[in-house]
Amino acid sequence: MAKKLPLEGIRIADFTWVWAGPYCTLQLAHLGAEVIRIETTTRPCVTRMLPPWPDGKFLGLNYSGYFNQYNQGKKSITLNFKYPEATEVARRLIKVSDVVVNNFAAGVMERMGFGYSEVKKLRNDIIMVSLTGYGDTGPYRDYVAYGPAQVPLAGFSSLTGYKGWPPMHAGFSYADPNAGVHGAMAVMMALYHRARTGEGQYVEMSQWECAIDLLAEGTLEYTMNARESERNGNRDPYMAPHGNFKCLDWPEKISGHTVDRWISIVCADDAEWARLARVIGRPELADDSRFKMLAARKSNEDELEAIIAAWTSTRDPGSAVEELQNAGVAAGVVADSRYLSAEPNLTARNYFVYKEHPEVGVRQHCGMPWRMSGTPCEVRSAAPLIGQHTDEVLLNVLAYSRDELDQLRKAGVLD
Amino acid sequence: MAGALSDLKIVELGELVSAPYAAKLMADMGAEVVKIERPGIGDRSRTRGPFPRDEAHREKSGLFLYLNTNKLGVTLDVATPEGFGIFERLVADADILIHNVSPPDMDRVGLTYERLARLNPPLIMTSITPWGVTGPYRNWRAEDLTLWAAGGPCVLNGAPGHPELPPLTIFGHQAGYQGGAHAAVATMGALMGRLRHGEGQHIDVSVQEALASILEMTFEYWPYMKTVATRLGAKPIQPIEAMEAKDGYIYICCIEEHQWKNLVEVMGNPEWANEEIFSDRYRRAENWDVLKVLLGDYVRQQTVLDLYRAAQAKRVPLAPVSTMGDLLNSEHLKARGFFVEIAHPVAGTHKYPGAPLKYEKTPWEIRRPAPTLGQHNEEIFGGRLGLDRGRLDELKKKGVI
Repeated sequence: MAKKLPLEGIRIADFTWVWAGPYCTLQLAHLGAEVIRIETTTRPCVTRMLPPWPDGKFLGLNYSGYFNQYNQGKKSITLNFKYPEATEVARRLIKVSDVVVNNFAAGVMERMGFGYSEVKKLRNDIIMVSLTGYGDTGPYRDYVAYGPAQVPLAGFSSLTGYKGWPPMHAGFSYADPNAGVHGAMAVMMALYHRARTGEGQYVEMSQWECAIDLLAEGTLEYTMNARESERNGNRDPYMAPHGNFKCLDWPEKISGHTVDRWISIVCADDAEWARLARVIGRPELADDSRFKMLAARKSNEDELEAIIAAWTSTRDPGSAVEELQNAGVAAGVVADSRYLSAEPNLTARNYFVYKEHPEVGVRQHCGMPWRMSGTPCEVRSAAPLIGQHTDEVLLNVLAYSRDELDQLRKAGVLD
Repeated sequence: MAGALSDLKIVELGELVSAPYAAKLMADMGAEVVKIERPGIGDRSRTRGPFPRDEAHREKSGLFLYLNTNKLGVTLDVATPEGFGIFERLVADADILIHNVSPPDMDRVGLTYERLARLNPPLIMTSITPWGVTGPYRNWRAEDLTLWAAGGPCVLNGAPGHPELPPLTIFGHQAGYQGGAHAAVATMGALMGRLRHGEGQHIDVSVQEALASILEMTFEYWPYMKTVATRLGAKPIQPIEAMEAKDGYIYICCIEEHQWKNLVEVMGNPEWANEEIFSDRYRRAENWDVLKVLLGDYVRQQTVLDLYRAAQAKRVPLAPVSTMGDLLNSEHLKARGFFVEIAHPVAGTHKYPGAPLKYEKTPWEIRRPAPTLGQHNEEIFGGRLGLDRGRLDELKKKGVI
């Protein structure tokens, strides 16, 4: 008999959209919760309209690889909140849910009639988690937060960049999944408390604060020494070499795009540097006074990097990393999506998910970053089509009759 | 009010960021965490700064002090048979073991779930490793930078137009933080599973996989379109860029058309903004070379906070490129009480980043600062495990504790 999943039987009323919120409920779906997305065709989740699409063609709301990645294993119902009947459907759903999650700006759920005080009236032990950009309180509570702007706001950008250059970005909306993963943890901490005490609660996040939690090294440099850390490329004050190095045949052209071929190399101590020197065929450099000790390697880091780059430039990324790792040197391919899709370690660990989707077919998607020995989690289904489960949820979960359902649909309530 | 996890006992065998962060997330919510460090040396993060006045001192590392709040600290060499025996006794009484011992070192000391579960069948053991406990790379080495590369985020960051500059990492051990946060999710999942179905289990968390899971839409470009997202491509829409203002940098962010229209109003409707070549977000990207000069001239004459507030008043999601000073002095973060002061007997009193979330019923709180090296040896080994003074001295002499 199949073992039960950790969150089996836990129902999540999922009001989330874009990335942070869906990344939160994705974790809960991975762990076995029944996640029911509340969507609308009148204002679909923006990720349903963003690329990538099969062959680059936007053919509708179910084609986005972005949406399909972060909504695996969930259900979708559509409700048009222009109609009070839609609000009633959502209220009935909340009554039979354990958790309500949203990542709207502060105040939006209240305006929809789903503030915590209202939701608690529907179910006394409900858990409600709000992942807002700025938090529910404070002078900027009504400010608008967008994923790309949260990275500089949090402080990552001012500390990230090439030496002497302006602040740089992370390259993606890093604060979003960070908020999502912490939000999922919070849902379960609240579920744990409820299981012990019977008590639900409200949990509030400022995505900004949740991101600053990852920057303690920077904030403590300021609070301890009243100064800002300097941007210094890929280098590290305590390790050298510590960088990315160009490989053979760089850059490569793939379907008109320039593709990077770099590898990342770090020596954490002098012994690792000695091993690296042997791998690159320069064993004499291990004892060279310019490089033997960390302090010397830091003083001569330009020269050190040039020597390593001369070696990597004659190697394919994958084979260079293998040579280094076989000698006990930390290294990795600077992996892009094409490389990742066939990466030997991820593939051998069955990280990737291949589920049939009615409109995009079988596509390779990322799975979950853990394996459990006792309750094997797996992605149970591809991401839902918009409104795919409206009938199923209204009939089976919310006990609407077929007639009532037809009337709601006819009136546009289920758009 | 008690923390949500106040009935949990956790043993942490962690170094640097990933396992210590996972255990901190739970300790700050009330769990008891006993952190095991190497005798005489301690957690590697103790050797990294920032340090007050730049004086390296194992009790003054900002990174260590932040990551290990609310924990009890003991020293124990689990690589010796005697040390492992004591470790087993600690784990026998715990709900959860969180560690980031690498798989080759797990093999060397005999750290397996089967062995520990014999003493404590409901145990949850969370292994956070760079490449996973299984798979062809299980024995490979890694540091934060090499994982940020191998998991996929690093290639996304850099300077368009400058392919010769390397893919750029992000500040501050982010691979470790994501490994830790995802491990906390999996651990809480296993805890819920145990609560509901009664069984312990082993969780294998791969940091590489945690990073491959957070690549926005970029991974799917290959399976859906056979194209590759990199740091070198121009942005499809604009303006979404950091720009220099009078007193710092500000991030100009107009994704929706109405946001650009409102920003134009904030700027006082300059004539150039109504040019045909800037008429929609795609055209603004095509003509970014021109736009960045005109927009840049305007932004340079503004102060960051004034432009930020004026734009936000019209619902345009601009944001400062915050320095650490900006964060510590932010009126918003101050009003919310985000940063917390923590007094430590050796390192002194400093402000630290605070709660990632605020719970109505179960507080996040700092009950004690990070432990000094071996601070709770007597309390745990003597008081809890009942080792007498003679035995403690003997173990100390042998370097086991």
